[in-house]
Amino acid sequence: MKRNRPRSISVIVAALSISVLTSHQLFAGESVIKYGEDPATGLKSWLWDNDGFYLELKQRLPDQTRAYFESRGFDQASTEIAGTSCVFQTMMKNSSSDSSLRLTADLTEWRVVSGNTKQSMLLREYWQKLWLDRQQSESARIAFEWSLLPTKVQYDINDYNWGMTSYGLPPGSQFDLLFSWYRNGKKYNGRINNVICAEDIHPDPPPQ
Amino acid sequence: MYKSLSIVFTVFLTLLLNSQVVLASSVGKNIKQTLTSVAGNPDAPDFNLEDQNGKFLKMSDFKGKVVIVNFWATWCPPCRKEMPSMQRAWEILKDEDIMMLAINVGEDSDQIFAFTAEYPVEFPLIMDTDSSVIRQWKVRGLPTTFIVSPAGKIVYQAIGDRDWDSAEILQQIRKLKKK
Repeated sequence: MKRNRPRSISVIVAALSISVLTSHQLFAGESVIKYGEDPATGLKSWLWDNDGFYLELKQRLPDQTRAYFESRGFDQASTEIAGTSCVFQTMMKNSSSDSSLRLTADLTEWRVVSGNTKQSMLLREYWQKLWLDRQQSESARIAFEWSLLPTKVQYDINDYNWGMTSYGLPPGSQFDLLFSWYRNGKKYNGRINNVICAEDIHPDPPPQ
Repeated sequence: MYKSLSIVFTVFLTLLLNSQVVLASSVGKNIKQTLTSVAGNPDAPDFNLEDQNGKFLKMSDFKGKVVIVNFWATWCPPCRKEMPSMQRAWEILKDEDIMMLAINVGEDSDQIFAFTAEYPVEFPLIMDTDSSVIRQWKVRGLPTTFIVSPAGKIVYQAIGDRDWDSAEILQQIRKLKKK
């Protein structure tokens, strides 16, 4: 019995070590993506923060987008197209604490996976051509372009952008976002599953 | 044997827990305010833009001074966020031969006037109505701010908002006066 004690202790230590290490990995995995919901509006958000890359997607109601672009001079039919294209308020940031690490990202490489289809996001270049074809005013086109996240970004430490991103899916659609970024020439990949475009609902104003 | 294993295990757990605390605390901490050096220090493109009062300002008017050039829009949340700190920095720097210009992209004087009722600022707000200047300066997203040396070279940039009246940033800007 005495001779067996060290072995049994070793087994316990090994088991505990494995369990602690496993929980550490789970913790790290869970901390990569955070899901949120605004208690006041019910709008959902998804946040990725890993390997020095921070990406946050917040749902925008189609009505919010319609109103935003209508007040910037778009005609009603065009605001309808923009409003129902699955738009998120988005923040992208270099979250590294190492000032020597520059981050770049090219949104043309990102993919939207919904059901059996895999497609690109709708980026500044797509929209600019569409608005030109639809003869929207120059001031409206400028506002739209700069309201969207840039297609290609380069961030040093502390740098970030905040803008809209659109995914070209009907309201209420669900998709997985496959994204990538680069650091010192090395490509990193990330994925956020089950992102949901906001439903096209028209909430009642709060009671007076 | 039992004692030594216990010690090893305790040390292991302590190290592991400490690493978790460090990881957790580093996620939310405030990062030091910094401006990024611009490679090659290119010449700052000149412009001739109108302010809200109909006065035209050129970049070349300010040669010999450090100039802070900020690109912004009223609808851009981080642009609005940094405006109060820009005003506070302006109050500190305006008597130090340092200029601050905020170039609005794509909006008109009515929209800017409504904005200044909420965010009163005293430095010039000039208008790049056709976005030609922001393209010349190779800006990709808003807000973006450049710091131009007295020799007219772009020395620093910041993408996204900053606390412009922080000691670190004021020090970086002031050092350029000697260049």
